[in-house]
Amino acid sequence: MKLKLIYSRENLGKPVLSDVISKTNLPINILEAKITLNTGEMLIDVPAIGEKLKEVSNLFQKAGLIVKEITRTIEIDREKCISCGACVSPCPVRAITQDFNWDVDFDEQKCVGCGICVDACPVRAIRML
Amino acid sequence: MSEERGIEKIRTYEEINQKIKSGDAVVLTADEFIKAVEESGLEKATKEVDVVTTGTFGAMCSSGAFINFGHSEPPIKMFKCWLNDVPAYKGLAAVDCYIGATAMSETKGFEYGGGNVIEDLVSGKEIELRAEAYGTDCYPRRSIETTLTINDLNQAILLNPRNAYERYNAATNSTDKILYTYMGTLLPHYGNITYCGAGQLSPLYKDKGFETIGIGTRIFLGGGIGYIIGEGTQHNPQNQFGTVMVRGDLKQMNARYLRGATYNKYGTTLYVGVGIPIPIINERVAASAALRDDEIFTNILDYGVPSRSRPTVKKASYAELKSGKVQINQKEIPSSSLSSNKVAKEIALTLKNWIEQGTFLLNRPAELIPNHREIKPLEVKGREPKVRDVMTREIIVGKPNDDIKDVARTLIAKGVDHLPIVDNEGKLIGIITSWDLAKAVAQDKRQLHEIMTLKVVSAKEDEAIDTVIRRMEQHNISGVPVVDQSNHIIGILTTDDISRKLVRRVIE
Repeated sequence: MKLKLIYSRENLGKPVLSDVISKTNLPINILEAKITLNTGEMLIDVPAIGEKLKEVSNLFQKAGLIVKEITRTIEIDREKCISCGACVSPCPVRAITQDFNWDVDFDEQKCVGCGICVDACPVRAIRML
Repeated sequence: MSEERGIEKIRTYEEINQKIKSGDAVVLTADEFIKAVEESGLEKATKEVDVVTTGTFGAMCSSGAFINFGHSEPPIKMFKCWLNDVPAYKGLAAVDCYIGATAMSETKGFEYGGGNVIEDLVSGKEIELRAEAYGTDCYPRRSIETTLTINDLNQAILLNPRNAYERYNAATNSTDKILYTYMGTLLPHYGNITYCGAGQLSPLYKDKGFETIGIGTRIFLGGGIGYIIGEGTQHNPQNQFGTVMVRGDLKQMNARYLRGATYNKYGTTLYVGVGIPIPIINERVAASAALRDDEIFTNILDYGVPSRSRPTVKKASYAELKSGKVQINQKEIPSSSLSSNKVAKEIALTLKNWIEQGTFLLNRPAELIPNHREIKPLEVKGREPKVRDVMTREIIVGKPNDDIKDVARTLIAKGVDHLPIVDNEGKLIGIITSWDLAKAVAQDKRQLHEIMTLKVVSAKEDEAIDTVIRRMEQHNISGVPVVDQSNHIIGILTTDDISRKLVRRVIE
């Protein structure tokens, strides 16, 4: 499950992520991070489901972070899509591919919700959810 | 070429059209023709196949439509006009205009342009027309605001000065910034490759000697029937960059094959569907129509260099580009298309069906389009400011071991914001700004090397000012050190220099 963590000024100085990793013993992966002196946002991949995932989420919340579960990321409007491929190679995690018929395939599991494809689509057929 | 170009040695247009009318014509798409040649050889396929159909569906910026609105009561000689807030060219008669694909909405900007207006017209949507005039004795009206659909127009003629590039250069990006170009989104450090053109389905590559394509050639255009009316602008056939100028009735077209589009941070355009039937009139035409993706090559250029002559990173075949990955420096780089291979196939198939049904006959061109054209660049006459004309030559530099507080004092005394850091030979190794210094003093840092930025964005003295301004914008910085070929610092160029010295030039 991918989680978006939103830091505020108060909790930026603390090693929240390392605390959670050492407490849960989970190999949490950072997919994207934007941290400045005042604000911070981080997209992480937590290899857990159910109770364990809840535990992770609660630990972050206790540390004062806002936690959002990223379940769906983008949606492709098949009516608008012209199967060009302009979104395919710019996808940094290769979540978008084209099949033998040049139809665009999208792998939700790989998507990190960066939005590059949304801007790359010349006919505005992709939107962020 | 020993024989006359366009010689009808194997079959004539009349013979082909007779067979189309009687339902006996053998028509294959270029994909199918390639298979037939692989199975039974070029000679046999040439004998058996009358027509090969092609297709492409890509962004074609040199596209647009002539529109005649009809006369209002009282009448108007429109001086300026807008369709859905997109300005149309009005240097024509009273109620004629040309709406170009790359014109952008004055209210929505990049998100809506002339290409979208054309798509919306073809879809039958209502369009807002706004026009202004100065009023004359014969045309007293001074303004119009109304709505219309394509059915209200006397003529809506798609007339595209340059379509269906035979092939196109592919693109990649060597810089450390993401680039937004007319070749789409290019990730940093050769992160991806984008390409354009249908390769073995590309209409003009299937008759690369231009033996059957000319003025009057009947074609598939935007889902309707169109005509080639001449060579396209920038036609460069000897280098396989041929283009055609096309014309068709917008009222017959289908928005599936005419789509308004936006290239992020670049502009608006129009995806145009073009399919050209290639009559197999002689062996040379047959050989060209049989060319496969792995025999059609193009160059992958580095769009990180914002120059007319971008360096070639690699020569690649369309087969390689279409495979989705291309090797560059032992690394596998993902590649993807900007034009639609899916719709290109669909167009070639649709054109094949039209011909098989007997509704689409082939035309012998009134005149073949040229198979040779020199392409000239635009030489800008007069001297334009270069970095060396504007840069500051008296520079203050620092050394890595300089004391931060001393440096801060010097910068304040001299009133400068950028301090390039050099080694003992005067070579640029880093930079700090007054902001870095303020932060460093607050954090109790001591020497410059602790805080300097090592990746320095720099300029050369013979670069055009506009190129360097764009670079500063991209990196969100206000100054760049100027270095020579061996990275010795020779000056500094700041936004201050540019505004003071260039503005003074303009005033003088």
